[in-house]
Amino acid sequence: MSKQKRKRKQLSMRTKDRMKGLVFVSPFIIGVLAFFVYPVFLSLRLSFGKIDNIIGLKISWAGLTNYLRAFLIDVNFVPIFLQVVKDTIVKFPLTIVLSLIIAIMVNRDIKGKGMFRVIFFIPFLLGTGEVMKQLLNQGVDTQVLSITDGRIIPYNVLNYFGGTVVEAVQNVLGVIVLVLWGCGVQILLFLAGLQSISPALYEAAKIDGATEWEVFWKVTIPMISPMLLLNLIYTIVDSFTNVTNPMLEYIQSYGFTKAQFEYGAAMGWIYFLFVGLVVAAVFALMKNYMHTNEVEEVKKHGRERKHRVFTIQGSKKKH
Amino acid sequence: MIKIRWFKGQWLHFTFSQLVIYALMLILVAFTALPLIYLVCTAFKPMDELFVYPPRFFVKNPTFKNFSDLLVSLGSSAVPFTRYAFNSILVTVTIVFLTVIVSALGAYSLVKFHPPGAKPLFNIIIMALMFSPHVTKIPSYMVVNSLGLINTYGALILPNIAVAYNIFLMKQFIEQYPDELLEAARIDGAGEFRIFMKLVMPALKPAWSTLIVFSFVNNWNDYFSPLIYITSQAMKTLPLALQTISGGAAGMSVGRAGAVAAATFVMTVPTVIIFTVMQGKVMETMVYSGIKE
Repeated sequence: MSKQKRKRKQLSMRTKDRMKGLVFVSPFIIGVLAFFVYPVFLSLRLSFGKIDNIIGLKISWAGLTNYLRAFLIDVNFVPIFLQVVKDTIVKFPLTIVLSLIIAIMVNRDIKGKGMFRVIFFIPFLLGTGEVMKQLLNQGVDTQVLSITDGRIIPYNVLNYFGGTVVEAVQNVLGVIVLVLWGCGVQILLFLAGLQSISPALYEAAKIDGATEWEVFWKVTIPMISPMLLLNLIYTIVDSFTNVTNPMLEYIQSYGFTKAQFEYGAAMGWIYFLFVGLVVAAVFALMKNYMHTNEVEEVKKHGRERKHRVFTIQGSKKKH
Repeated sequence: MIKIRWFKGQWLHFTFSQLVIYALMLILVAFTALPLIYLVCTAFKPMDELFVYPPRFFVKNPTFKNFSDLLVSLGSSAVPFTRYAFNSILVTVTIVFLTVIVSALGAYSLVKFHPPGAKPLFNIIIMALMFSPHVTKIPSYMVVNSLGLINTYGALILPNIAVAYNIFLMKQFIEQYPDELLEAARIDGAGEFRIFMKLVMPALKPAWSTLIVFSFVNNWNDYFSPLIYITSQAMKTLPLALQTISGGAAGMSVGRAGAVAAATFVMTVPTVIIFTVMQGKVMETMVYSGIKE
């Protein structure tokens, strides 16, 4: 009897605790419901529907009409889409490789590494928005050569090679600048991964006579594979949702200037599904190479709690 | 080993591989810094240098005329530049302040209290992390519209407070906070809110410094919210105003090129200031504890 009573009291205490928690989290819940969950739901409905009356937002079912329109009727959608994919394919490996190289160098014991870290991170502060667009308008990516005022590569030499070569060089340099400007976060993520590798591993590898090259492939890469995965996904998502992305501008134009909400929503979902598929594919590919080191932590109170970390972060937790 | 003579007769010692690394680093830094240098230089270029061909990176006769142009040329139109700046500052600061509180409270509650619905909420957060916000822009507009917020500061502020990324970041930190401290405080008779303000928040300083920088940068540069929710000139924030100054998306109007360069420069200043103030904290937390977890 008394045992039952105690149990009930305990339960009610816990419920009280949980209710307190609910009060704390409620502002967030309201925000997410109003500005994420409901809009997602609404846009899904829009993409399959047709607005009959904008005032009461009466939507009738239109099936796949909007989706088919993107592929069968719209002449612009597919080319822009392919353009975006092409851009991503060019920039994405460059971003990963460059940021890994930079992270490894910054992680070494060199002078002024703090300063280097800041410099590589600064573009993230400036380059994410309208400023970058403005700089691109002013042609910053195509003017790399002119900074030297013909000192490193004299103009005469360039003229000798002809316009196409100069243009090609300009383009390559421009892409490098753009890629470096998009590396800030990736470098930090890699750096975080690199710093979580225990020095003991490197020592062991050295004692066993591994060369630096072998150590890189057999120790560094497997150990940072969770960060690599996170970075791959971050880069893909970032490149697809960038401000300078023409696809988004196109979708935007339908949503707002042309006021065809349904079609805009449908294109948005096609785009999102594509990005989702790419991310899922990366997941599936990387799964086999992932170095799994999930730590099951035994928490206090003898309660065993599985490490609740977002899967793509799946990195180990150090205590 | 290579020796380089430093000043006062000191010698700097480098190994060959170190030299290679430094050289590589310097090249990469140069590339990274190029747009920055360009940005700063252009802002100070007089008119004739702006349109010189072939274009030049460095400025020869620096001038402040662009900045005064920015104030004057816009002063004649309906809305002065300072109004845009004021809008931007007000909106960004409010968002940052509110989002830090809401995310910290929410994450604290999710981790330590396990309120009902915590699991589905967490799934929603993860989904939102992967979701491109642009898919939901149009319905968000409808929501804001039905709340009657169009052309108010509310439209710029409210949708940007409950951001999945922010609560996720805070959650990662709070998970490391020991329950024992909370229990001790409870036994000592502290109220829940007091525990949060006096114990949890100070301990989470690295987390919210990072959050402040991220949130500030994102919202300061946010171009979509004002584009969608704001139609009145007087309510626009800097990113959108920048486009207005440059004469629309189609192309830059030649006469304003200097003012645009100056405005671009002015726009980057606050983010750099915030970052410099918080810099040490952010780099440390991100590298040692934040995103790693």
